[in-house]
Amino acid sequence: MLLIQFLNALQFSMTLFLLAVGLTIIFGLMKIVNLAHGSLYMIGAYIGLSIWSYFDSFWLALIFSPLITALIGAFLYNILFKHIQNADPMKQVLLTFGLIYIGLDSVRLIWGTMSHSISAPELLSKSIILINDPYPSYRLFVIFVGIFVLFCLYFILEKTVIGAKVRASVDDPEAARLLKINTDKILFYTFSLGCGLAGLAGITVAPILGVEPGMDMEVLVLTLIVVVVGGPGSLKGAIVGALLIGFVDSFGKVYIPQLAQIIIYAVMALTLLFRPDGLFKR
Amino acid sequence: MRAVNYNPKLRLQVMVILVLLSIIFNIFGGYFTRFFIAEITILSIFAISLDFIASRGGMVSLGHAMFLGIGAYATAVLSTNYGIPPFYSMFFSIIIGLFIALIIGYFIVLLDGIFFIMVTLALGEMFHAWVFTSELLGGSDGITGILRPDLSSFYIDLNQPLIFSFYTIFWLVIVYLLISKVTDAPLGRNLDAIRQNSDRASAIGAYKKTYKAIAFSISAGIASLAGSLYVQLNGFISPELTHWTVSGEGLIMIIVGGIGSISGAILGASVVHIIQHELSNIINWWMLVIGFGFILVVLFMQDGLWGLIERIKKKCSS
Amino acid sequence: MILKLSNINKSFGSTIVLEDINITSEKKECLAIIGPNGAGKSTLFKVISGIIKQDNGYVEFNSKSVNALNVEERARLGISQSFQKNSLFLEMTVKESLMIACSHKYKVSFNFIKPLYKNNFISEDAIKIAKDIGLQNYLDIKSEFLSYGLQRQLELGIAIACNPRLLLLDEPTAGMSPAETKDIINLIKKLSKEYSIIIVEHDMEVIYNLADKIYVLDRGKLIFEGSPNAVKNSELVQKVYLGI
Repeated sequence: MLLIQFLNALQFSMTLFLLAVGLTIIFGLMKIVNLAHGSLYMIGAYIGLSIWSYFDSFWLALIFSPLITALIGAFLYNILFKHIQNADPMKQVLLTFGLIYIGLDSVRLIWGTMSHSISAPELLSKSIILINDPYPSYRLFVIFVGIFVLFCLYFILEKTVIGAKVRASVDDPEAARLLKINTDKILFYTFSLGCGLAGLAGITVAPILGVEPGMDMEVLVLTLIVVVVGGPGSLKGAIVGALLIGFVDSFGKVYIPQLAQIIIYAVMALTLLFRPDGLFKR
Repeated sequence: MRAVNYNPKLRLQVMVILVLLSIIFNIFGGYFTRFFIAEITILSIFAISLDFIASRGGMVSLGHAMFLGIGAYATAVLSTNYGIPPFYSMFFSIIIGLFIALIIGYFIVLLDGIFFIMVTLALGEMFHAWVFTSELLGGSDGITGILRPDLSSFYIDLNQPLIFSFYTIFWLVIVYLLISKVTDAPLGRNLDAIRQNSDRASAIGAYKKTYKAIAFSISAGIASLAGSLYVQLNGFISPELTHWTVSGEGLIMIIVGGIGSISGAILGASVVHIIQHELSNIINWWMLVIGFGFILVVLFMQDGLWGLIERIKKKCSS
Repeated sequence: MILKLSNINKSFGSTIVLEDINITSEKKECLAIIGPNGAGKSTLFKVISGIIKQDNGYVEFNSKSVNALNVEERARLGISQSFQKNSLFLEMTVKESLMIACSHKYKVSFNFIKPLYKNNFISEDAIKIAKDIGLQNYLDIKSEFLSYGLQRQLELGIAIACNPRLLLLDEPTAGMSPAETKDIINLIKKLSKEYSIIIVEHDMEVIYNLADKIYVLDRGKLIFEGSPNAVKNSELVQKVYLGI
């Protein structure tokens, strides 16, 4: 029983991580909090739904829905985010607030207000027996995807030239520009990547939670909390924050259902009071 | 964001015109207009509370719907569960809002721009989550059957739509007077100074934290009043009122009106609410339009409608 | 004695910025701290005003330690500063800026009923200060629209409006033309009759006519103290400045 709860919490943490990592890198690079990040997650899930129902292949959906979400992100970056980089926080927040409305209504117009479900692919539809209890293998797959992305990102950021440039741009944009690092290009690609990861979170979670309008709002605040608790702009912070919030939420819901939500917010409030820069300062 | 020019005279002129207009519409309008006016007036009170701290204090709160909720729920609970007359419940709910905000404010008012936004958002959502699970507050169903205050000893019958609208307008005027006083007074001007240049404000010996906490608390008290009036108008309260998007829409209203103009906030609340209402009657994809509208407003309406008024006035006088 | 610094040390990481600084300043004295770029002048200035906290050592003001106090609290005791880079309330007019600074002097800053602009005594005081700093013709101009030189004057004016017992000036003539510099020097000269002043300055010429006493700072250490004439004739100082 405990093992299953542990795995469920881990799976939820990985989904949060996929969402938070995009948001946190975008914040680190551009100092923008994108409230529409949840909308991209929802759109990723819906695009996956369409691909899945048209081609009848989950794997195609898994590959193409993050790509298309990344393209949407790239488009948004070019028409909007590029221009508000140094704007006042209130302006940035309210612009992305407008995007939430657009995202929500677009989804309703294109896919309707009904909730849908995607079934897991044949390969992962069975349960695996862990010790004594059966456990859906698809959830293990989601955990695996999260860990895989974490390692890829870690490798890119720490071991490649591009990663070094990204880190330099996060730490000191001025100096990075002086070093002839093309920060605009880096911003463009990381922004798109962040959005793509939100899409990936959406499509991987779809077979578990279903696809419905309003799924964006549910994760948005949790993702923001992960970012704030972990420390905006930090990869390490995103994973630790995601694990912390994911586990507190999952276990809290089982053992103290009334207080689970409030504990999460309390964790955030305490972090901000005592470590305003988050657990992991860049 | 930058506040509009500080201009107490124009502020008063616009306020007088708006109040006169609402009185005329209220007298000659039908049942629906009167209800609508009351709704807009309550939203305006909420918008003013946001405007006051966002413009002069530089505190952008995405969690102010919490205080709307505190006002509404406190009024509802005190009057239905504890039998306190609704009119007194309203005052108690304002005091509760003030007090909670003072405690919260003491911890958060010095946080920088984006962090203040995120913390208020999280606190607001915390309240929202709590409301859903609380049996006392009726969970997701909310509370129904709340009566309007009984002012028959003053020969006032608030159950008549006409009278109730006047009653909300009366409160709006009080709120306007209070906030414009605070804005013009040394406290408010010092707040403005802190927003414009925080380091310099320290160097002249401003009590930054205290001023800001007081302002935050006043603002929360006014938001609580708006919440209490909301519950008096509708007779019920549901958790949706405390969702953070309510605060977001409030902020959009003050941008439309012109940040820091106080009477502009009323204008903004009216325009946004009327557009939302009319649009949702015509088309069912109105949120898409509103979303685009929000973005355009934030991008291109620097001084909001207030800027427009200023320009018209300049043209007239020259 | 109005200000006493004893054994101030400060380092950022492994770089020592201030080393064993001892300075005393008397009432109504105009004291100058000079030194080449990177000598630690600005850091010292910030230690006095409370923006930066020293690693060890004491800052005493009016014979009381102010070590534990932050900028706000020191300002309330009467340590008033003007910044090296103009730091103004840009959306406010000259008069309003001065009135806000004055509101603390008259202890009305917590009043939230009576409009600031209706406080006649504050308004008169602000106008008087504006006259002192030569901005009487710009009272209703927003600070952001003033020329650089006038902004510099207002910078000083706000510092004066706080009713200082000690006036800290960080390079008051930074970035000004020779003519503007002259005006400011005359202004400070006038102020030095009324206030205790500490000037931090890069340009030696500026303070020869102003200061009663000069401290020379080089690479975080005080290397000389004395009257302007003594400094002028000191070979050591010449060497530091000319870099020989």
